[in-house]
Amino acid sequence: MRMNKLFRSIVLVLFLLFMLVPLIATFLFSISTRWDRTILPEGFTLEWWKKVISRGAFGLTLKNSFYISFATSIALTILVTPTAYWVHIRAPKSKVIFEIMSAFSFGIPGVILALALIRFYSGIPVPLINTTNILLLACMELCFPFMYRPVANALDSIDIHTLTEASQSLGGNWISTFIHVILPNIFPGIASGFLLVFSTVFAEFTLTNLLVGARFKTFPIYLVEFTRFDGRQASALAIISFVVAWVVSLLLLLISGKRTITSDNLTIGH
Amino acid sequence: MAYLELKNVHKTFGNVKAVNDFTLDINKGKLVSFLGPSGCGKTTTLRMIAGFEQPDEGTIQLDNEDITIVSPNQRDIGMVFQAYALFPNMSVRQNIAFGLKMKKTPKVEIEKRVDEVLEMVRLKDTAKRYPHQLSGGQQQRIALARALAVRPRVLLLDEPLSALDAEVRVALRGEIRRIQSDLAITTVYVTHDQEEALSISDQVVVMENGVIQQVGTPQEIYRAPQTRFVATFIGTANQFFGKVGGESEVQCSGLSISTRKLSDFTKGQEVVVLVRPELISVNTSQPSADAGNIIEGIVETVTFHGAVTRLGVHMNQQRVVADITVNSAESISLNQTVWLSFKPEVCKVMAVAE
Repeated sequence: MRMNKLFRSIVLVLFLLFMLVPLIATFLFSISTRWDRTILPEGFTLEWWKKVISRGAFGLTLKNSFYISFATSIALTILVTPTAYWVHIRAPKSKVIFEIMSAFSFGIPGVILALALIRFYSGIPVPLINTTNILLLACMELCFPFMYRPVANALDSIDIHTLTEASQSLGGNWISTFIHVILPNIFPGIASGFLLVFSTVFAEFTLTNLLVGARFKTFPIYLVEFTRFDGRQASALAIISFVVAWVVSLLLLLISGKRTITSDNLTIGH
Repeated sequence: MAYLELKNVHKTFGNVKAVNDFTLDINKGKLVSFLGPSGCGKTTTLRMIAGFEQPDEGTIQLDNEDITIVSPNQRDIGMVFQAYALFPNMSVRQNIAFGLKMKKTPKVEIEKRVDEVLEMVRLKDTAKRYPHQLSGGQQQRIALARALAVRPRVLLLDEPLSALDAEVRVALRGEIRRIQSDLAITTVYVTHDQEEALSISDQVVVMENGVIQQVGTPQEIYRAPQTRFVATFIGTANQFFGKVGGESEVQCSGLSISTRKLSDFTKGQEVVVLVRPELISVNTSQPSADAGNIIEGIVETVTFHGAVTRLGVHMNQQRVVADITVNSAESISLNQTVWLSFKPEVCKVMAVAE
């Protein structure tokens, strides 16, 4: 029993070290005067942070990244949630198509996805090439599974058929049923999907670089540019990027946590 | 004129005929049960009344209006589900108010109606709670209140008590019947539990394989079953197979059973004689001939059922069950020879389908 407890503690500590050491090291590097000749940093300074934040490009790229991340997350939420509900309730056989579509973005390397998108969109009459919208569409395609999976899981975990029928028998139509009955009950799933999409897009580099490149600089592009001449400033940026993703997660968890206090037991019946 | 009419309704899933030529008139204010084993089509029929399934053929009329293709949310039909189906994200009050909100009822009226139905199901103090904070029985009462709040034209109950404990089940079915008669609301109740159906219904519809077997009051269904399925599905019946031997006699293997006059049968026709176990007397000594049919046998099993004790008696290759009171069971032991007797009037004779 005691051995068991000890073993568990060791595993936990090792895991936390594995996850946290790179983060802590990155942070230390970003506030060190110099850390390439000694085991420990030679001294500490906030100079790199000041430098990196004071550049005009910093605010701009951060703004761009927030914009594209929020836009993708919101667009996917609006697109995927009602679709997933409809598929689950009315066309369960086409679930398999969605599963296959979910695998696409994992199976296809970013480079190929980007070039394929450029070829495809240059062939259609809507002018999308070289606009931010093409990036939005690409990110939506890339992140589709991150939104679909949690929402589908949430839908599977409640008895949507009976809930839908109960709502209909009380006079609810499809839209009011979806908004008042289904949405609140799958909210935790939507929140985690939103989070996954947001953080994926916020850190997205390949597609952005290939599709819009220098015209629409996002935070990761800015970060990569820095690694070429100053690792310490790049480290500061990496920490900022991490904190942003972390804060957004925390906010969403807080919101979805509040929603689930009132409905933490989503199982129907016993 | 019937209030709810189903005319020649058919429904097929794949190549399974779930409901076959279902025709039924239900009068206003009555409670009608659909009773049958699982897969008999009772729930499918209910779902067609609710509008969740479309009949392949036939029509459904409610209050002289054809509702066959009307969508479920336009039918004004309330439904209570086996799995309660309360909205987990809403409090009890919000759940009950949902239907009224959908109908755009004024707020003051909603409050009044919610209190009214909560009073009806005797759960006033749960208004602020959430479904997961209630017991199964309470949840189902709230589901009933929610369905009644909108004052539907018809109330449908789909095995509402199946998920509950025996004790709660009996209490709640009494409650359902009380509320139903108070409101005089036309109700269709689906169940596979015969005791439930017999105890609360004005009329029982017995179904098997998508076909109505018999429609009647609970007494009619129990006392005068029209098919062998009804006789054996409702309660227990001993079956003696044989041929018509005389004008009031059936010849079974090594046994002759006197019955009432068999004017509807021809001599030699294959029939089955059905006798309810509670109509058989058990004698420890040979009774006089005026006791009617007398069968000698050996007690094989003695099963305690609470109010009665059921004896399994073996007599030449056949097992006969008889119910006796607990008191008279005390004088009977296993492997004892007993004489079973029953009057010719209690025998129900039916033709055996070829």
